[in-house]
Amino acid sequence: MGKIEWAMWANEQALAAGLILLTGGIVGVAGLFRGWEFAAYSIAAGVFVCLLEYPRGKKNKGTSVERTGQYCFTVCVKAFGPLTRNYYVRAFIHAALAVPAGFMLATVLGCVCLGIASLIYLGAAISGEQWEPILPRTETRKAVGESIKQPPQNPPPRPPAEMRRKRAEDLEGAAYDNPIKVSTNEE
Amino acid sequence: MVLSFKSWVANEGGKHFVLILWLGANTWLFLRTFLTYSTGQQYYYLYKMLGLGLCISRASASVLNLNCSLVLLPMCRSLLTCLRGTHTLSSRGTRRLLDKSKTFHVACGIAICIFSVVHVSAHLVNVVNFSAFYSEDLPALNLARYLGEDPRMIILTTVPGITGVLLVVILFLMFTASSYCIRLSNYEIFWYTHNLFIVFYIILMVHMVGGALKYQTNVDTHPPGCLRPNQSSPELQGEELEPGNEERRCKEEARFHPHYPQTWMWVSGPLCLYCAERFYRYIRSSDPVTIVTVIRHPSEVIEVRMLKGDFKAHPGQYIVLNCPGVSSFENHPFTLTTCPTEEKETFGVHMRVVGDWTERFTELLLPKTGVELEILPMVQQRRYPKLYVDGPFGSSSQEVFNYEVSLCVAGGIGVTPFACVLHALLDGWKQFRLRRLYFVWVCRELQSFYWFSELLCALHHKLWQENRPDYLNLKLFVSQTEDLQSMSEEKYRPLSSRLSIGRPRWKLLFDEISNANRQKHVGVFCCGPKGISRTLHKLCNSGRYTGVTFEFNKESFS
Repeated sequence: MGKIEWAMWANEQALAAGLILLTGGIVGVAGLFRGWEFAAYSIAAGVFVCLLEYPRGKKNKGTSVERTGQYCFTVCVKAFGPLTRNYYVRAFIHAALAVPAGFMLATVLGCVCLGIASLIYLGAAISGEQWEPILPRTETRKAVGESIKQPPQNPPPRPPAEMRRKRAEDLEGAAYDNPIKVSTNEE
Repeated sequence: MVLSFKSWVANEGGKHFVLILWLGANTWLFLRTFLTYSTGQQYYYLYKMLGLGLCISRASASVLNLNCSLVLLPMCRSLLTCLRGTHTLSSRGTRRLLDKSKTFHVACGIAICIFSVVHVSAHLVNVVNFSAFYSEDLPALNLARYLGEDPRMIILTTVPGITGVLLVVILFLMFTASSYCIRLSNYEIFWYTHNLFIVFYIILMVHMVGGALKYQTNVDTHPPGCLRPNQSSPELQGEELEPGNEERRCKEEARFHPHYPQTWMWVSGPLCLYCAERFYRYIRSSDPVTIVTVIRHPSEVIEVRMLKGDFKAHPGQYIVLNCPGVSSFENHPFTLTTCPTEEKETFGVHMRVVGDWTERFTELLLPKTGVELEILPMVQQRRYPKLYVDGPFGSSSQEVFNYEVSLCVAGGIGVTPFACVLHALLDGWKQFRLRRLYFVWVCRELQSFYWFSELLCALHHKLWQENRPDYLNLKLFVSQTEDLQSMSEEKYRPLSSRLSIGRPRWKLLFDEISNANRQKHVGVFCCGPKGISRTLHKLCNSGRYTGVTFEFNKESFS
C-alpha cells in the first residue's frame, strides 16, 4: 500500500555506517595495528559519508523532518547537482568507498554496513527516487489590500432619526424591524 | 516553573524507580561477570592470553543476555492488557507503569545496540590476541590454529564468528529502520525489519556453539601458575628446594572445556511467551467482523460500526484493523468509540481519513457522494470489504474511571478514547469511582464538534436531570480564529454556550480545577498533539497547586 521510499532507510544506514567506519578507523589508528593505513583511510571515508548523508532528502508525500542544523549541509550537497541527486551515483560511491575498509579488521564492520546501504540505494535508484533538498518555504505574503475586505461604502439601512427616537405615546409606531433576529436568552 | 518534589514523585517516581532497578541489574551483572573472568582461577590462562578484552566481552555478553530477554516482554500486548484489567495490579501506580512499556522496550533495544558494539569490539581484540599470542604450550585454549593466523579467517571459519557477523547485520538493519522518521513515513520498513527478530534470536541461541572461550576444568589438580615438572621457579634459582615447593608442582596438564551455551536459558522463556502471544492474537483475529453501519461525518471523519462474536472491550481500549482488500499486511490501530454492552453488541471506531490506507478503505466502504451525513443500512445491497480486528488492547485512558476527579484533554480526533468513556457514563455513572469529569476538547474547525455533539448533549442532559450538574464540566475550544463560527442549532445549546474561540489557557484551567477539588488526586489524560501534552506534563509536575496532585497519563499508539 503506497510507495515505500527506500532512500530514507538507505540514508539512515549510510549515516550509521559512516559513524561505524569513523570509530573503527580511530581505533585502528590509535592502536597502530597491522594495516593502520586502511584505518586512516576509513576515518576520511567515514567523515565524507557522514557529511554527504547528514542532510535528509525531501519526502515525496507528506512533511519531511529535518535533522538539526542540516541547512548548511543541504546547501553544500545541493551544489553538486546531479552527482548527489542521482541515487545510482550514490550507490556507486558508497560501494567504492566501502571496499578498501574491508582490508583491516577494525573497519570491516563499517565496510559491511556501508555495502548494505549502497545496495539499498541501488534499490531506491531503480525505483526512480531522487534526492530533493529540503529548503525553507518562502512565505507568500498576501497583498494587504486583498486580505482586508472592502469596507462598506454606504451606512447600514436605518429609518430616519425622528422615527428612531422612542416616542412614549406611540411605542408600537417607534418599533422597526431589526435585520437580525433578536432572541431572549433562555436558561 | 517550580518543580515540586511531591508532584514530581507522583508523576515520574514510578518509572524512574524501574529505570534505576534496570540500570542496577545491568551494572551488577556486568561487574560480576567482569570480576569472574579477571580473578577466577579457571580463567587464569585465558586471561593471560587475552587480557582485558576477555572480561569486557564476556561481561557485555551477560548484559546482552539480560536485555535480549527483557526486550520482548513489553511487547506482549495481550498479556499487558490482561494485567491492566484484572486486579493483579491493584495499585494505580503500578498500572501507570504499563503505559511506559514501549519506552522500556526502546531502552532495552538501545542497551542491546550499545553493548553489542562493546561486545564486538572486545571480541575483535580477542581474535587479534588469539592470533598474536598463540603458544605451543596451550594449543587447546587458543581459537587460532597457528601463530599469526589472519584474524579475519578466524572469524569466518568458526561458528561464533559467522553467527556474530550475521547477528550484527540483522541488528544493523533493525536499528536503522527504527528511527522516528522512518516509523512516521514508511512504517512497513520498520515492521518488516523488526520481524527479523525471530531470525536474530535463533542465531543468538547457536552463537556460542563450538565454544571459542574455554575454562579450565582441573583447577584443583593443576593450580594455575604452578610449575611444570621440567620447569624451575625463577625466584628459587640458586636456593635450596624447600618442602613447600612440592605444592607448586603441577600434578597434571591443564585441561580445558568450552562453555555450555547459556543464552537459551535467558531467552527461551520470553521468546516462547511472545510467540504464544502472537499466535493467540492471530487466532483471535482470524474471524472477520460484520460491518453494520458506516457514517460519514464532517471534517473527513468516518464512523464504522461492527459486530463480532464474543468481543468484549472496556472504554479507552483500542483495536487494530486489517483489511485485506486495502493491504494484506498493514495493521492500523484505532481507539474504540463505542464498546459492546449487554444491550448493544456493536462496537465502533471513528477514523480520520488522512493517508492512503484510510482513503482507500473509505472508498471501499462508501460511494463518492457529496452528502455529509449518509447512513447506509445493512439491508442495502452493499458488499463491504472483509475486515479483521485484533484486540482490544489496553491503554492509559482506561484509568479515567479510577480517579475521583479526572481531566480529559482531547485535540481533534484525539477525542476518541474519551468518547467511549462518555458513552459508558451515559449508560450509568454511579458505579464508578469518578465523581467529576472535566472535559476539554480543542479543535481546529467548528464542524469537528458535530462528531459527538449528540453524545455530549445527551450526557449533559441526563446528568442535569439526575441532579448532578457538576459531574461533567465541558469546555470546547476552536483554535482557528479567522472565521467566526457558531453552533446555531437549538439542541446543541449546551455546547455552544461552552464554546470559546482561541486556544485554552491551561494555567487558568488548572487553577480552577485545583480550587474546586482540594486535597484530591486529579488524573490528567491527554490525547492530542505533542505541544499540548508537553505543556500539560510540565504543569502537572510543577506543583504550584497546594493540596492537589495532578497525575499525568498520556495516550500514545505504538
